[in-house]
Order: sequence, then structure tokens, then C-alpha cells
Amino acid sequence: MQCEQFERILEQQDDGALPKPALDHVEACEACRALSTDFYSIHDMALELGAEGIAPPERVWISLRNQLEAERLIHGAQAAPVASAQTSPGWWAVFQRPAVAGAFLGLVLAAASAVGYLSNFAQTAVQSQWVAPQQETSPVPSADSVFKEEVLTVGNDSIPGLQRQDTAVTDSIRRNLRIVDNFIAICEKSVREQPDNQMAREYLYGAYQQKAELLATATNRSMTGGLQ
Amino acid sequence: MNSSCWIPVRVGALGAVMAGFILAASPAHADRVEKHFAVQSKPKITVRNSSGRIQVKAWSRNEVLVAWTNASGKSVVETEEAGNRVEVSTRVNEDGVSADDSKTDFEITVPVESELNVRTDSGNVTVDSVHGDMTFDTVGANLQLSDVDGYMVVKTIDGSLVCNRCSGKLEANSISGNVQMIQPTLDSVRVQTSSGNIFFDGSFLSRGIYIMKNFSGTIEVHFTSSDSFDVNATSLKGDVINQASFKPDTHGSPHTASKWGHSLFGTLNEGHAKVELSSFSGTIKILKRD
Repeated sequence: MQCEQFERILEQQDDGALPKPALDHVEACEACRALSTDFYSIHDMALELGAEGIAPPERVWISLRNQLEAERLIHGAQAAPVASAQTSPGWWAVFQRPAVAGAFLGLVLAAASAVGYLSNFAQTAVQSQWVAPQQETSPVPSADSVFKEEVLTVGNDSIPGLQRQDTAVTDSIRRNLRIVDNFIAICEKSVREQPDNQMAREYLYGAYQQKAELLATATNRSMTGGLQ
Repeated sequence: MNSSCWIPVRVGALGAVMAGFILAASPAHADRVEKHFAVQSKPKITVRNSSGRIQVKAWSRNEVLVAWTNASGKSVVETEEAGNRVEVSTRVNEDGVSADDSKTDFEITVPVESELNVRTDSGNVTVDSVHGDMTFDTVGANLQLSDVDGYMVVKTIDGSLVCNRCSGKLEANSISGNVQMIQPTLDSVRVQTSSGNIFFDGSFLSRGIYIMKNFSGTIEVHFTSSDSFDVNATSLKGDVINQASFKPDTHGSPHTASKWGHSLFGTLNEGHAKVELSSFSGTIKILKRD
């Protein structure tokens, strides 16, 4: 058996044992043995991650729920998706992994985007005169602002080396988050006013994308206390 | 002289020698440190520095020279050489070190044909006369590229980019940084910034594609009457100012102006290059070079 054939079998096999020719090959070939070991390590790690039940901070969920309720996308006193009792004690350590944090960022941003789009869609569909509550006057902080705070303060008390982070860098990230948020607000207004304006939609999408990248950069810099 | 007279002299001499040793062992923080790496042609050089100036220039030797200064002495520079790859990174040894203390300035000299990978948070980056692919990832660092040639990818948050006589391909993405391309001979440009300005003053090469997009800044493009390009310029809330005598675009499908914003479509000469300019609320200027 050639290495390429072995790689194909390795990719295709689910959880079952390797066929005998593949086992024979892996015994004889050091490179494929290493590949196989890596593959199983990644597989096991993925299972562990899934079993740990990673959950974001409860206040993020509460805030998201409140935001959804405020925008009348959900009704009534629904239970928060994750109660504190369900939170795995080890989740914070997992969150400190940049990849997981990045995925979390993506999920929350996707949720935030979905909220924005659903809100716009609902408003457009029913031609409602209802105006979403202003964030400034709402007693409940928006999910977005909570999350932003979460990102910029993540690990402040727990990650060695974060203190050396350049305040100019943090200021720069904060300042640019404000710029992007402002663009998002302007684009959202344009899309609401001109729903068939494709260019405004593209700019809104681009601004969301830029925000996601910015938050990822902020997380990455915070996680590592600088560069990694 | 009796032996008792010698004692103070001996103690003094010993003290002087010990002081000498102590001085020699102490890190001379602000001193310049140099490391040389023998490489083959087209080495790959990676630099990671959180704070400080990075200057990269080219020479004709197959050697990489990395020189640095760290005024505080609280930053450690680590270097690694493997094959034709050289990596340079900084780290601090203790918690609570300020950005100023971790600031490390680099002067790096590389073979003309080198691949560069630079990642930094703050502190300016300059690259001179290097030919090869380059990536730059910065937060607030400004970047100046001069006489470079290759595929350049720049990602920055609010750093600005100045590209003097750049050749090859450029991809740049910034949020609030400005991007200037002065006398470029680039055949592919994809530049995007949100609140920054974009300035292009150079030739549109045949078959070149030039895409420049921002949100609220100004996009200014200079052309000569002999340039040959198709243009598609749209500003949703801003103006499009044009000094070119475009004829209707005869390439591809006919354009229809959007009912939103200001648009301009047209062809100058044969339309060999493609120029797309887009802004949400900024002004787009297509100006004739003096």
C-alpha cells in the first residue's frame, strides 16, 4: 500500500478499525504512523471539547435573551439557554484557547448579525411603525456591548503577561470598534430605509465582517498579552 | 614598603577587577546586538515584535543580518534558523512590563529576493528594495514600502500604508488607516479601508485590476491621457468627481446606473485595465495628472 492510499483510508474511516493492509502499512511507514497518531489525537481532543460543554458567560446569554425580548423576537420569560449550574467549571480554561475563543466570537457575532437581520426583516415585512428601543435608554445592556466588554477585558485577571499590553493598542482597538459600530449603525439605517439597496447591504455585510475580524484581533492580542 | 602597605592596594585592585566583571556581565541594554544568518537565495524571514520600529532593507549577500536595541533590557529577542527560514521574535521575561519597556527596534538586512512575514502591534515598519512576497499584520503600526516587488498583503487596524514605487500585487485592508500608492507599477490592487483615504498616483497596467473601496474617506485616482482602462465608480452618499473623457464601456454587459448614489461607468482608450472604485459616503476623485 502506498502512503497516498493510506491517507485516503484514514480520511474515510469513521470510528472503526483500520483494515489489515492499512495496519500493515502503518507499521512499516514511520510518516504514516505519525500522521495516524496526530489524527487520533485530534479526534480525541475534539471529542473531549464536545464533552466539556463549553458555555459562554451567563450574562452574555441573559443579555442576548433580553435583547431578543426587547426586540420582540421572543416572548415571555423563557429560561436562559445555559444556567450557571450547567456551566462546566473548566470552560474558562477552554475559552482561553484562541481557536475556541475565535469560534465563540464567531457564534456570538453570527447571533448578533442574525438578530439585526431578523429585526430588519420583521420590520420590513410588517411595515411596522414600531421603533426599537434606544440602547442609551434601555436599562439592559445590549448583548453586543456586553460581549465587547468581555472581549476587551478577557483574561485581565488571569492571563500572565496581559499587563504588558500596549495601552495604545487597546485604545486603537476600542477606537476602531467605535468606528465600525458607527458604520454598522449607518448601514443598518440605510438598509432599513432602502431595503432594495444592494450596495448598502454589501457595506453592512462588510462592516460586520470587519467587526468580526477586529474582535478576533482583539481576542488574539488579549489572549497572548501581545503577539503570538 | 612593608606588607601592610600592600593590603589596601590589593583590596583596591581586586575591587576594580570585580567591578569590571560586574559591568561586563550586566546587560548593556541600549547596546546594539547583531546576529548573522547564512541563507540561500529567497529565504523566508518572519519577524514578530509587539512594539518598536522595524526597518528591513536589502543587500546582495546571501545573509540575513538582524540587529536590535532594547533600551530597557526587559525584552528578550529570540531567533531561530532552520534551513532557509529565519524567525525573530521578542518576548518579555516578567509580568507588568510596559509597552515602552518592551519596545525593541530592529534593523534587518536581507537578500534582495526574500519572503517577509512581519507582525507587530505598534511601531513603524519600513521595507526597502526587497523583492518577494510579503505579509504584514499590524494594529497601529504605519507601514512604508519602497521599491518593493512581489505579492504584498497588508492587514492593519489603524496603521497607514505608503507604497512608493511598488511593483507586483497589493492587497491591503485597514479600518482607519490611509493607503497611498505613489508611482506604483502594480498589476493587481485590492485596497479597502473604512474611514481612511485611498490615493493612487501611477500607471494602470494593461490587464491590471484595481479595486479600491472605502466607507467614508476620499478615494483619489490620478491618470494620464494615455492610460487605458475601464472604470466603474460608485459612491452611495458621496460625490464622484471626474476629469477624464470616458466613452461608454464597450466591454462586457452594459452597465445601468443604480438608482442609489452617484455612479460613473466608462472606458478610457482601449480599456485594457479594470478600475473599480467604491465608497459609501466618501468622495471619489478621478483626476488628470498634471
